[in-house]
Amino acid sequence: MVYVSRKYQFSASHRLHSHALSEAENYETYGKCNNPHGHGHNYEVELTIAGPVDSLTGRAVDLTALDSLAERAILGPFRYRNLNHEIPAFRNAVPTTENLGLELDRRLRAAWPAFFPHGPKLEKVRIWETERNICEIVHTGPE
Amino acid sequence: MVISKKVEFSASHICRSDQLSDAENERVYGAAANPLGHGHNYIVEVAIEGEPDPITGMILDLKRLKEMLEEKVLNVYDHRLLNREVEPFDRIVPTVENIAIDIWNRVAPLLTGRARLYSVKVHETSELSVEYRGQ
Repeated sequence: MVYVSRKYQFSASHRLHSHALSEAENYETYGKCNNPHGHGHNYEVELTIAGPVDSLTGRAVDLTALDSLAERAILGPFRYRNLNHEIPAFRNAVPTTENLGLELDRRLRAAWPAFFPHGPKLEKVRIWETERNICEIVHTGPE
Repeated sequence: MVISKKVEFSASHICRSDQLSDAENERVYGAAANPLGHGHNYIVEVAIEGEPDPITGMILDLKRLKEMLEEKVLNVYDHRLLNREVEPFDRIVPTVENIAIDIWNRVAPLLTGRARLYSVKVHETSELSVEYRGQ
Protein backbone atom coordinates (compact mmCIF):
# COMPACT_ATOMS: atom_id res chain seq x y z
CA MET A 1 0.00 0.00 0.00
CA VAL A 2 1.36 3.44 -0.92
CA TYR A 3 -0.03 6.95 -0.50
CA VAL A 4 0.12 9.02 -3.70
CA SER A 5 -0.34 12.79 -3.34
CA ARG A 6 -1.24 15.01 -6.29
CA LYS A 7 -1.52 18.80 -6.05
CA TYR A 8 -3.77 21.13 -8.06
CA GLN A 9 -4.42 24.85 -8.09
CA PHE A 10 -7.36 27.15 -8.73
CA SER A 11 -8.06 30.81 -8.10
CA ALA A 12 -11.36 32.10 -6.75
CA SER A 13 -12.86 34.97 -4.79
CA HIS A 14 -14.94 34.94 -1.63
CA ARG A 15 -16.23 36.98 1.27
CA LEU A 16 -16.44 35.65 4.81
CA HIS A 17 -19.79 36.84 6.10
CA SER A 18 -22.45 35.02 8.11
CA HIS A 19 -26.12 35.97 7.73
CA ALA A 20 -26.59 34.87 11.35
CA LEU A 21 -24.25 37.57 12.68
CA SER A 22 -24.57 41.35 12.91
CA GLU A 23 -22.31 43.63 10.84
CA ALA A 24 -20.17 44.27 13.91
CA GLU A 25 -19.96 40.58 14.82
CA ASN A 26 -19.03 39.67 11.26
CA TYR A 27 -16.22 42.19 11.28
CA GLU A 28 -15.06 41.00 14.68
CA THR A 29 -15.12 37.33 13.55
CA TYR A 30 -13.64 37.58 10.06
CA GLY A 31 -11.68 40.87 10.12
CA LYS A 32 -10.57 42.07 6.70
CA CYS A 33 -11.94 38.85 5.13
CA ASN A 34 -15.38 40.41 5.76
CA ASN A 35 -14.71 43.19 3.22
CA PRO A 36 -18.09 43.58 1.39
CA HIS A 37 -16.37 43.69 -1.99
CA GLY A 38 -14.72 40.29 -1.44
CA HIS A 39 -11.17 39.21 -2.18
CA GLY A 40 -9.45 36.18 -3.70
CA HIS A 41 -6.84 33.48 -3.24
CA ASN A 42 -4.74 31.08 -5.27
CA TYR A 43 -6.00 27.91 -3.64
CA GLU A 44 -3.97 24.72 -3.73
CA VAL A 45 -5.60 21.34 -3.26
CA GLU A 46 -3.72 18.12 -2.56
CA LEU A 47 -5.44 14.75 -2.91
CA THR A 48 -3.89 11.74 -1.20
CA ILE A 49 -4.89 8.36 -2.57
CA ALA A 50 -4.17 5.02 -0.87
CA GLY A 51 -3.80 1.82 -2.83
CA PRO A 52 -1.55 -1.08 -3.80
CA VAL A 53 1.04 -0.67 -6.58
CA ASP A 54 0.02 -2.48 -9.78
CA SER A 55 2.81 -4.97 -10.50
CA LEU A 56 2.62 -4.41 -14.26
CA THR A 57 2.49 -0.59 -14.46
CA GLY A 58 4.20 0.31 -11.18
CA ARG A 59 1.38 2.79 -10.53
CA ALA A 60 -1.05 2.94 -7.60
CA VAL A 61 -3.43 5.38 -9.29
CA ASP A 62 -4.17 6.24 -12.92
CA LEU A 63 -3.00 9.87 -12.95
CA THR A 64 -4.78 10.64 -16.22
CA ALA A 65 -8.09 9.53 -14.68
CA LEU A 66 -7.30 11.42 -11.45
CA ASP A 67 -6.56 14.63 -13.37
CA SER A 68 -9.83 14.28 -15.32
CA LEU A 69 -11.78 13.66 -12.12
CA ALA A 70 -10.22 16.70 -10.40
CA GLU A 71 -10.91 18.91 -13.40
CA ARG A 72 -14.51 17.72 -13.71
CA ALA A 73 -15.43 17.66 -10.01
CA ILE A 74 -13.67 20.71 -8.55
CA LEU A 75 -11.23 22.67 -10.73
CA GLY A 76 -13.61 23.43 -13.61
CA PRO A 77 -16.54 24.43 -11.37
CA PHE A 78 -14.41 26.54 -8.95
CA ARG A 79 -11.80 28.20 -11.19
CA TYR A 80 -12.20 32.00 -11.42
CA ARG A 81 -15.53 31.89 -9.58
CA ASN A 82 -17.03 34.01 -6.86
CA LEU A 83 -17.63 31.25 -4.32
CA ASN A 84 -20.42 33.06 -2.43
CA HIS A 85 -22.46 33.79 -5.54
CA GLU A 86 -21.63 30.99 -7.93
CA ILE A 87 -21.31 27.85 -5.80
CA PRO A 88 -24.72 26.79 -4.40
CA ALA A 89 -23.23 25.33 -1.18
CA PHE A 90 -22.08 28.83 -0.18
CA ARG A 91 -25.42 30.61 -0.54
CA ASN A 92 -25.86 29.86 3.14
CA ALA A 93 -22.61 28.35 4.41
CA VAL A 94 -19.63 30.71 4.81
CA PRO A 95 -16.82 29.84 2.33
CA THR A 96 -14.10 29.49 4.97
CA THR A 97 -11.19 27.15 4.21
CA GLU A 98 -12.93 24.54 6.41
CA ASN A 99 -16.25 24.71 4.53
CA LEU A 100 -14.49 24.91 1.17
CA GLY A 101 -12.46 21.80 2.05
CA LEU A 102 -15.62 19.93 3.03
CA GLU A 103 -17.38 20.95 -0.19
CA LEU A 104 -14.39 19.88 -2.34
CA ASP A 105 -14.30 16.59 -0.42
CA ARG A 106 -18.04 16.02 -1.00
CA ARG A 107 -17.71 16.67 -4.74
CA LEU A 108 -14.64 14.46 -5.11
CA ARG A 109 -16.29 11.58 -3.26
CA ALA A 110 -19.49 11.89 -5.32
CA ALA A 111 -17.48 11.68 -8.57
CA TRP A 112 -15.04 9.00 -7.32
CA PRO A 113 -16.95 5.75 -8.11
CA ALA A 114 -17.45 6.73 -11.78
CA PHE A 115 -13.69 7.19 -12.26
CA PHE A 116 -12.38 4.53 -9.84
CA PRO A 117 -15.09 1.86 -9.42
CA HIS A 118 -12.57 -0.70 -8.12
CA GLY A 119 -10.30 1.62 -6.11
CA PRO A 120 -7.94 3.07 -5.09
CA LYS A 121 -9.38 5.07 -2.20
CA LEU A 122 -9.36 8.82 -1.57
CA GLU A 123 -7.68 9.08 1.82
CA LYS A 124 -7.16 12.78 2.40
CA VAL A 125 -7.94 16.23 0.97
CA ARG A 126 -5.76 19.18 1.96
CA ILE A 127 -6.48 22.74 0.94
CA TRP A 128 -4.15 25.73 1.19
CA GLU A 129 -5.89 29.11 1.21
CA THR A 130 -2.51 30.76 1.67
CA GLU A 131 0.86 29.25 2.53
CA ARG A 132 0.03 29.64 6.21
CA ASN A 133 -3.62 28.65 6.26
CA ILE A 134 -4.24 24.95 5.57
CA CYS A 135 -7.20 22.66 6.19
CA GLU A 136 -7.10 18.87 6.02
CA ILE A 137 -9.97 16.36 5.73
CA VAL A 138 -8.92 12.80 6.52
CA HIS A 139 -10.96 9.66 5.99
CA THR A 140 -9.70 6.76 8.03
CA GLY A 141 -12.65 4.34 8.02
CA PRO A 142 -13.59 1.89 5.23
CA GLU A 143 -15.31 3.31 2.15
CA MET B 1 7.92 9.93 18.26
CA VAL B 2 8.84 10.46 14.63
CA ILE B 3 11.79 12.42 13.24
CA SER B 4 12.49 12.93 9.56
CA LYS B 5 15.43 13.76 7.37
CA LYS B 6 15.23 15.22 3.90
CA VAL B 7 17.72 14.50 1.09
CA GLU B 8 17.74 15.15 -2.64
CA PHE B 9 18.97 13.43 -5.75
CA SER B 10 18.60 14.01 -9.50
CA ALA B 11 18.04 11.17 -11.90
CA SER B 12 16.48 10.26 -15.22
CA HIS B 13 13.97 7.54 -15.98
CA ILE B 14 11.68 6.12 -18.62
CA CYS B 15 8.17 5.08 -17.59
CA ARG B 16 7.43 2.27 -20.04
CA SER B 17 6.57 -1.37 -19.57
CA ASP B 18 7.77 -4.02 -22.05
CA GLN B 19 4.51 -5.81 -21.41
CA LEU B 20 2.38 -2.94 -22.74
CA SER B 21 1.93 -1.72 -26.31
CA ASP B 22 3.14 1.75 -27.36
CA ALA B 23 -0.43 3.03 -27.21
CA GLU B 24 -1.00 1.55 -23.74
CA ASN B 25 2.29 3.01 -22.47
CA GLU B 26 1.24 6.43 -23.76
CA ARG B 27 -2.14 6.13 -22.08
CA VAL B 28 -0.77 4.96 -18.71
CA TYR B 29 2.33 7.17 -18.42
CA GLY B 30 1.64 10.08 -20.79
CA ALA B 31 4.71 12.19 -21.57
CA ALA B 32 6.74 10.15 -19.06
CA ALA B 33 6.66 7.24 -21.55
CA ASN B 34 9.14 9.05 -23.85
CA PRO B 35 11.61 6.24 -24.73
CA LEU B 36 14.53 8.68 -24.63
CA GLY B 37 13.89 9.39 -20.95
CA HIS B 38 13.56 12.55 -18.88
CA GLY B 39 14.61 13.55 -15.37
CA HIS B 40 13.58 14.99 -12.02
CA ASN B 41 15.04 16.52 -8.89
CA TYR B 42 13.70 14.07 -6.35
CA ILE B 43 13.25 15.00 -2.70
CA VAL B 44 13.21 12.10 -0.24
CA GLU B 45 11.88 12.41 3.31
CA VAL B 46 12.85 9.50 5.51
CA ALA B 47 10.98 9.32 8.83
CA ILE B 48 12.29 7.31 11.78
CA GLU B 49 10.14 6.20 14.71
CA GLY B 50 11.30 5.47 18.25
CA GLU B 51 11.86 6.87 21.73
CA PRO B 52 14.84 9.15 22.44
CA ASP B 53 17.83 7.59 24.17
CA PRO B 54 17.75 8.84 27.79
CA ILE B 55 21.43 9.85 27.67
CA THR B 56 21.82 11.39 24.20
CA GLY B 57 18.24 12.63 23.83
CA MET B 58 18.25 11.26 20.27
CA ILE B 59 16.23 8.49 18.60
CA LEU B 60 19.06 8.07 16.13
CA ASP B 61 22.15 10.12 15.39
CA LEU B 62 20.96 12.05 12.31
CA LYS B 63 24.52 12.25 11.06
CA ARG B 64 24.55 8.44 10.93
CA LEU B 65 21.22 8.46 9.12
CA LYS B 66 22.59 10.96 6.61
CA GLU B 67 25.65 8.74 6.01
CA MET B 68 23.41 5.69 5.53
CA LEU B 69 21.23 7.57 3.03
CA GLU B 70 24.29 8.83 1.16
CA GLU B 71 25.81 5.36 0.92
CA LYS B 72 22.71 3.28 0.24
CA VAL B 73 20.50 5.69 -1.71
CA LEU B 74 22.18 8.82 -3.03
CA ASN B 75 25.38 7.14 -4.24
CA VAL B 76 23.21 4.61 -6.06
CA TYR B 77 20.53 6.95 -7.45
CA ASP B 78 22.11 10.36 -7.97
CA HIS B 79 22.77 11.36 -11.60
CA ARG B 80 21.83 7.93 -12.93
CA LEU B 81 19.44 6.63 -15.56
CA LEU B 82 17.37 4.50 -13.19
CA ASN B 83 16.16 1.98 -15.81
CA ARG B 84 19.70 0.99 -16.79
CA GLU B 85 21.85 1.72 -13.77
CA VAL B 86 19.80 0.99 -10.65
CA GLU B 87 18.36 -2.36 -9.63
CA PRO B 88 15.49 -3.38 -9.57
CA PHE B 89 14.52 -0.98 -12.35
CA ASP B 90 15.96 -3.28 -14.99
CA ARG B 91 12.89 -5.42 -14.15
CA ILE B 92 10.21 -3.02 -12.85
CA VAL B 93 9.11 0.42 -14.03
CA PRO B 94 10.79 3.25 -12.04
CA THR B 95 7.57 5.04 -11.15
CA VAL B 96 7.70 7.21 -8.04
CA GLU B 97 5.66 4.48 -6.29
CA ASN B 98 8.35 1.86 -6.99
CA ILE B 99 11.14 4.30 -6.10
CA ALA B 100 9.60 4.90 -2.64
CA ILE B 101 9.31 1.13 -2.05
CA ASP B 102 12.88 0.49 -3.24
CA ILE B 103 14.31 3.19 -0.95
CA TRP B 104 12.38 1.66 1.95
CA ASN B 105 13.87 -1.76 1.12
CA ARG B 106 17.38 -0.31 1.06
CA VAL B 107 17.08 1.63 4.33
CA ALA B 108 14.84 -0.52 6.59
CA PRO B 109 17.35 -3.38 7.17
CA LEU B 110 20.03 -0.89 8.34
CA LEU B 111 17.99 0.37 11.26
CA THR B 112 18.50 -1.82 14.27
CA GLY B 113 18.08 -0.93 17.92
CA ARG B 114 15.71 1.76 19.12
CA ALA B 115 15.04 3.39 15.72
CA ARG B 116 12.56 1.91 13.27
CA LEU B 117 11.84 3.14 9.74
CA TYR B 118 8.39 4.77 9.81
CA SER B 119 7.90 6.13 6.31
CA VAL B 120 9.62 7.05 3.05
CA LYS B 121 8.10 9.94 1.13
CA VAL B 122 9.41 10.73 -2.35
CA HIS B 123 8.50 13.98 -4.13
CA GLU B 124 8.96 13.59 -7.88
CA THR B 125 7.69 17.12 -8.61
CA SER B 126 6.05 19.76 -6.41
CA GLU B 127 2.71 18.31 -7.56
CA LEU B 128 3.34 14.57 -7.19
CA SER B 129 4.61 12.59 -4.21
CA VAL B 130 4.31 9.07 -2.81
CA GLU B 131 4.57 7.83 0.76
CA TYR B 132 5.30 4.21 1.72
CA ARG B 133 5.12 2.86 5.28
CA GLY B 134 6.34 -0.65 4.67
CA GLN B 135 3.14 -2.55 3.97
